[in-house]
Amino acid sequence: MNCLEFRRLKLADPRHVDAAGQAHLEACASCREFALEMDGLEERLAAQLNVAVPEGLAERLILRRKTGTPFSAKFFAMAASVFVAVAVGLTSWKFLATPNYARFAIDHVMNEPESFTTVRDADPQLLHQVMQNFGGEMLAPIGTVRYIKLCPVPGGTGWHIVFDAGDGKLATLILIPARHGKTGSEYARLGNWNAVARPGGQGFYAVITSSPDSLAKTDALIRRQLRWRS
Amino acid sequence: MILNLRSRRFDQTVRAYSADLYRYAYWLTHDRFTAEELVQETFARAWKNWDSLKNASATKSWLISILRNERARLYERKQLALDDNDPEDLDIPAHGPGSQPGAHLELEQFVGTLPLSYREPLLLQVLGGYDCKEIAGLLGLTEGAVMTRLTRARQALRALLEPPDRLGATP
Repeated sequence: MNCLEFRRLKLADPRHVDAAGQAHLEACASCREFALEMDGLEERLAAQLNVAVPEGLAERLILRRKTGTPFSAKFFAMAASVFVAVAVGLTSWKFLATPNYARFAIDHVMNEPESFTTVRDADPQLLHQVMQNFGGEMLAPIGTVRYIKLCPVPGGTGWHIVFDAGDGKLATLILIPARHGKTGSEYARLGNWNAVARPGGQGFYAVITSSPDSLAKTDALIRRQLRWRS
Repeated sequence: MILNLRSRRFDQTVRAYSADLYRYAYWLTHDRFTAEELVQETFARAWKNWDSLKNASATKSWLISILRNERARLYERKQLALDDNDPEDLDIPAHGPGSQPGAHLELEQFVGTLPLSYREPLLLQVLGGYDCKEIAGLLGLTEGAVMTRLTRARQALRALLEPPDRLGATP
């Protein structure tokens, strides 16, 4: 088996390399590197495809066998969505009229608790690219990045970043694109959550932590390590 | 007694395969409600035809075949377009993540935009654990065609996620 044949086999089925492929792998350093790279991609792909399954799915399927009645998840979800939309609409019309980014950032973090338990695209190089894209420059690392995701924010799509800000405490940085001329900083507190939003880059950046002390420390860290072009 | 045994086996099958089938359906449809509806219809039909399952070791493949048929039925009933392109039309990006940080992140978008003829074999292999020959049997294709589609899908994935300087020696 030559390198071309091995790579074709590896691309077609990375998990099943036959004996001839294994023999080639042992003799060829370049194909070993390729195989490692493909195994890494395959792991990433498998993790991505492994989406969460709705709670109680198996029980609903078994119940349907017993009763013959299909369960409409869509109906209950739509009813819940309408209720939530009305409740949010009634309570936050003022907030929407004059967006408070610090308060938005806390709400967003509370709605995405998985950002603290999931490791996702934890790539420092990617953080550099995201910052550059948003109009920022990283003068020094801000800590170990654990989570980076594109998220819906007021006025478009922003970035949700979770990092280890030291002492094992996690902090969140949210980049929010905005075009209006607000220039002041905004603060918010809800339960244990504390946030500050400041103008920077292509809009605002918000820092969210779970205590006032760590907010002050993380805010200072961000201001020290990041420089905004605007 | 026989009915009880039959029910118990069916329930065990539901517990064993419903998660896999849901994930497969989700990535076929990109809609969690449609995916759950498909899985419900699949198991309802499986229960009706339970006695026709002769080979218990082929249960998962049998359920996948039912799910594929149910999907075709659902799309016909709701008059939805089956989003399949010409299998030869897969564009392999020429750049890595350097110019598009978003592309690096959104691997799910890559899977979602793969034509169905590439996506299905990839899902069956990565989620289902099937080899090329088994996938060919499930999809009614030749093994060679499956290998070609999987190779091209992974080349596209690699081009999307890897920096250009690492893409040199690809077949």
